[in-house]
Amino acid sequence: MTTARDWLDRIRALKLDRPVKIMNVCGGHERSITSAGLRGALPEAIRLIPGPGCPVCVCPEEDVYQAMQLALQDRVILVAFGDMLRVPVNVPKGEVRSLVEAQAAGADVRPIASPTEARRIALENPDRPVVFFAAGFETTTAPVAAMLAEGAPSNLYILLSGRLTWPAVAMLLESEAPGFDALVAPGHVSTVMGPEEWRFVVEAHGLPAAVAGFTPESLLAAFWSVLRQIGSGARFLDNCYPEVARPGGNKTAQRMLDTTLEVVDANWRGIGVIPKSGYALRPAYAAHDARLHFPDHSAPGRRRAGEMPPGCDCARVVLGKLMPSECRLYGRACTPRTPVGPCMVSDEGACRIWWSGGVREPAKAD
Amino acid sequence: MCLAIPMRVESVEGHLARCQAKGVFRDVSLFMLQDEPVAVGDYVMVHVGYAIQKVAEAEARSAWELYDQLLAANGPGDSPPS
Ligand code: SF4
Repeated sequence: MTTARDWLDRIRALKLDRPVKIMNVCGGHERSITSAGLRGALPEAIRLIPGPGCPVCVCPEEDVYQAMQLALQDRVILVAFGDMLRVPVNVPKGEVRSLVEAQAAGADVRPIASPTEARRIALENPDRPVVFFAAGFETTTAPVAAMLAEGAPSNLYILLSGRLTWPAVAMLLESEAPGFDALVAPGHVSTVMGPEEWRFVVEAHGLPAAVAGFTPESLLAAFWSVLRQIGSGARFLDNCYPEVARPGGNKTAQRMLDTTLEVVDANWRGIGVIPKSGYALRPAYAAHDARLHFPDHSAPGRRRAGEMPPGCDCARVVLGKLMPSECRLYGRACTPRTPVGPCMVSDEGACRIWWSGGVREPAKAD
Repeated sequence: MCLAIPMRVESVEGHLARCQAKGVFRDVSLFMLQDEPVAVGDYVMVHVGYAIQKVAEAEARSAWELYDQLLAANGPGDSPPS
């Protein structure tokens, strides 16, 4: 097996005549890169950019607000993955600003680790409505779809904020300044959806791309692949995680996504609407759609509704336009203990990953 | 959140499997693997309580090693590894 050291030697032996920016779009990749110290180990000309890899970070502020109101006003049992609970909404000082604060104010908010727990809680509380607030990319949305396909109790409703990963990359590539020269594609999204999803990066945009797993070896193999492609002029979608991300992906999971959910235009917090980038329940599952069943509390006239918290540059961090430590609040007003924005709350947020990985210095400017 | 963890299948009952990783046991849904046979002793990648893919034992071991290092470096995150 080629070790991390071998890959590093190979990469260092490549002659790069200009800086190369490699974007990843997965919080898991960013965590491995940061905790293995890969940035420091690579030649200076190679810049690793964390891109749109955090579904909690881009979950619409209105959806978080709506989830809080369902718990506070409609007295539902609100269940959500743990990451979601501390994401702040924009409300006047002193008002309840997250699901954790709603819980402290007496609302029934419960963290869960699996859609199966949402089902269990609904079955155990047949006379109460249970709302599962589900944010996530394809890998997380597929299990939500599977739970629906298997059969959800009638008192279980889904507030779905599922997102697709590739349309955000496509949006960046179609923009004037994408901000990267090569892509490392997400391993577990590709496991479910199939690596082929990322071909458009190569075929429509002429950028090298490689699917990577989460070990330093797999990530370095992917970096080496895209760097060599840049050097040689060859372009193809490489797969450096072939044992897990197999051709075609998990067809059963894709069928469940397709029968229960449809792909719709969707809003990304602080970024705006990205075409065909979100999931919504199909009409056949309308009986479980929290958006149809409960009053809309999102109050779009609310001050700063939909935006990132004041002073938080999370949207630009998500798009790879700004490194976490370039945010003025990073490590000052904003730390995991006192997070200002969702990128410091979520385990997949680049700010959180950099801070817990020990990055304490402001980033060097280009 | 998109990080799946490999686990060993210890028992199977319908679409439900009891799985184990490094001494930690979890109930895992095999619903998304219903079109492939999954047997005791197989390894599966588990994400939010659902098996998303079968993997070889070697792949499981290298992933476990990695997660040990991540855990040692960062401490456990907010979301339980299910
Ligand atoms: S450091 Fe905090 S305030 Fe700055 S972008 Fe990250 S989450 Fe937002």
